[in-house]
Amino acid sequence: MPTNQDFVPKIQVFEPHRASLPPLIPYIKEFWKRRTFAIELARFSDKAEYLDSRLGKVWLVLNPLLLGMVYYLVVTIIRGGHKGTGLTTLDHLLIGLFTFYFAQNCVTAGAQSITMGGRLILNQAFPRALLPFATAIQAFQQFVPTIPVYIFILVTGKYFYPATQVPGWTFNFLWIPFILVCVALTGFGLALVFATLNVYFRDTNKLLTYITRIWMYLSPVLWLPETLHGMGRLLLYVNPLGPALTATSDVWISGKGPHGLIIFGCLFWAIASIGIGGYFFISRERDFAIRI
Amino acid sequence: MSSDKKFLDVSHVSKNAAPMPEELAIRIEELSISYKVSLEAKRTLKNAVMRASLRQEARVRSIDAIKKLSLDVPHGSVLGIVGSNGAGKSTLMRCIAGILSPTEGRVTVNGKISTLLALGVGFNPALSGRDNIILGGLASGLTKEEIESKTDEIAEFAALPDGFIDLPVRTYSSGMYGRLSFSVAVSMTPDILLLDEALSAGDAAFKEKSFERMRQLCAEARTILIVSHALATVTDLCDTAIWMHKGSLLSKGKPEEIVDQYLKFLNVGSLPSNYEDM
Repeated sequence: MPTNQDFVPKIQVFEPHRASLPPLIPYIKEFWKRRTFAIELARFSDKAEYLDSRLGKVWLVLNPLLLGMVYYLVVTIIRGGHKGTGLTTLDHLLIGLFTFYFAQNCVTAGAQSITMGGRLILNQAFPRALLPFATAIQAFQQFVPTIPVYIFILVTGKYFYPATQVPGWTFNFLWIPFILVCVALTGFGLALVFATLNVYFRDTNKLLTYITRIWMYLSPVLWLPETLHGMGRLLLYVNPLGPALTATSDVWISGKGPHGLIIFGCLFWAIASIGIGGYFFISRERDFAIRI
Repeated sequence: MSSDKKFLDVSHVSKNAAPMPEELAIRIEELSISYKVSLEAKRTLKNAVMRASLRQEARVRSIDAIKKLSLDVPHGSVLGIVGSNGAGKSTLMRCIAGILSPTEGRVTVNGKISTLLALGVGFNPALSGRDNIILGGLASGLTKEEIESKTDEIAEFAALPDGFIDLPVRTYSSGMYGRLSFSVAVSMTPDILLLDEALSAGDAAFKEKSFERMRQLCAEARTILIVSHALATVTDLCDTAIWMHKGSLLSKGKPEEIVDQYLKFLNVGSLPSNYEDM
């Protein structure tokens, strides 16, 4: 039986937009109203992704962990051993990789979210940004289990290799949520850019594979931020993930709070990514139903 | 001449829109929709870079999908839309649903819309029917609680064989898939239901059940718009029909008359087979 709510008239007027952007306040309100859809879409996509896999979600941890081990072996061989730092290099590498993968998953899965959601886009009117938002939530859900694994490796590493640098309990750990929010916003913002590009140019995703690989090599994941000096440190700031990964290393490895400039860098890239990505995506999303 | 017509003030939604008569569910004013399509076989970054380096312009074609179309649809009516491929029927439906924006003109909609414009909405083939119902419902704007309370009703209406509701959708036949999509769309108790070729889903028994459900929706003063090449569906279900051709509204009237005009235009006669799928 229909409820009273069903009969509440809902008047909508569809007109050509004078500006390139639709009215933003109704858009954001509708986006927020439909957030449950994005959360459930992320949950169900996650469920579907590992449904046929015997190890299921274990792969979420195994994949970056094995990759971390491989990179660790390579880095250790190049450096010629531990050099009295225990497993500090491995710890830096793992937390860097886990965090980088979180951002990378936001971007790569988000880039495909519009072209993969073709039927949904052709059938329903909703803020399209919900689709890359759902992939960002999914990337976060996949990132969360890597943290206890990292802590386990950190603690056991210290036990077997006492020279391993482990931060004690410190209030600087309170920076972690801030860093993760910045990484998520940066990843989501970039996902909006690449999702739009992918609608117009279907080979964007192929290009993205190379972009993310180069991006990782240019990020302080396989190398320590301290190794850069002078003008070289600019590399940390022109990279959208540079400040966040530097802050990650500072907090998780040294237990110290990030430098003011690094905090500014994190905020700058988060806001710039969302601003530029949001404008680029929302101003073109009315085109998606035609281009798909 | 005095008029008892009541008008709805829509100025809070659009400053330019005039008040809309209360008895209307949809008002379409001078609607035009045009867009550009690329003539390239593949739209790739590589091609774009090559073109830019050669200082060539992208080869595009402008399509006028809808041309200056005006139409009023009263509450409780069932409107059939007929026309050949490329007439602009699906584009019109998508514009009413708010999926496509007008290039010119205005569409005012008074009521909650549910759409079935492409089968398998929100459906992930790896997930069960039950999970997909929740996804489909949320995509349509229902809350999780609302859709969860309707899941069993939807599954029952879709007449899935025992246990299939908890199996992955990829194991469904195309008929089961279509029936589930239709059931999700009609379960929303919408004020306005937009259906594009949705009634071709399912067997004769399900078709009859679908017709029955739509008659029930009409009795509740819901408005239904149906795009169908099955002309029998239009004459059986609709109380009004329009004929679209190359983006323009050619005529509006009783379904039988419109279908007759359309068949004459197609020059195929009025054999029973022509009513099945045109």
